[in-house]
Amino acid sequence: MPDNPINDRLELVKSPIDFDGLVRFVRAEKDGAIVTFDGFVRNESHGRASEYLEYEAYEAMAVAKMREIAEYLHDKFAVHRVAIVHRLGRLEISETSVFIAVSAPHRAAAFDACRYAIDTLKKTVPIWKKEYFADGAVWADGELPPAPRSSKSAS
Amino acid sequence: MTSVLPTIRVNVLFFGRIRELAGVREEPQEIPVDATLADLFASYTRRFPKLAEFRGSLVASRNQEFAAWDTQLKPGDEIAFLPPVSGG
Repeated sequence: MPDNPINDRLELVKSPIDFDGLVRFVRAEKDGAIVTFDGFVRNESHGRASEYLEYEAYEAMAVAKMREIAEYLHDKFAVHRVAIVHRLGRLEISETSVFIAVSAPHRAAAFDACRYAIDTLKKTVPIWKKEYFADGAVWADGELPPAPRSSKSAS
Repeated sequence: MTSVLPTIRVNVLFFGRIRELAGVREEPQEIPVDATLADLFASYTRRFPKLAEFRGSLVASRNQEFAAWDTQLKPGDEIAFLPPVSGG
């Protein structure tokens, strides 16, 4: 029986992400592999030196979309537990903005699931990043999430 | 007495560059009973003409699900207009 997804950790936080705690959280005796993704703030964007970033989210919807990702991982990959934590607010260079940890009995599922999780988060989770430079700030180019074209075709 | 068209009330949220442009984070809005997401957005472009430039690069959500522009709204719906997402 797969674990109840309620055991996953899907969170938005406003302080530094405790990644050791998340790795401990997903780790269990029945697992043989954990794959993690640590996304952190780069010191440049399109050739301009960044000073810092600010993240904001549609918080309730963002957590709901992160939960959908975790549920998909349980359905499609043989994963045990999922932790996806995104930080909001002001982040300095090199600080972690998103951390994902996925445990599974075998490495292939953990690698595939972790890759799927970060790729999907970047396309579907309503979080926005503003980049601050010495001479101004811009909202980062993002990805437009796929939405139904017509309410009539929705099942 | 003039007849009053029936209206419903929805709650509208703005994020990112759209929030900055509108200068609004969240507000209740009275709309005609048969209004769609597209109608609601059109009412905002009348208030904030610059928003019209962003119509093609936004998605709408209704009650925290991405929704088509022709979606008809219901009383109490939570609506948001979302620019391209850039988390991670």
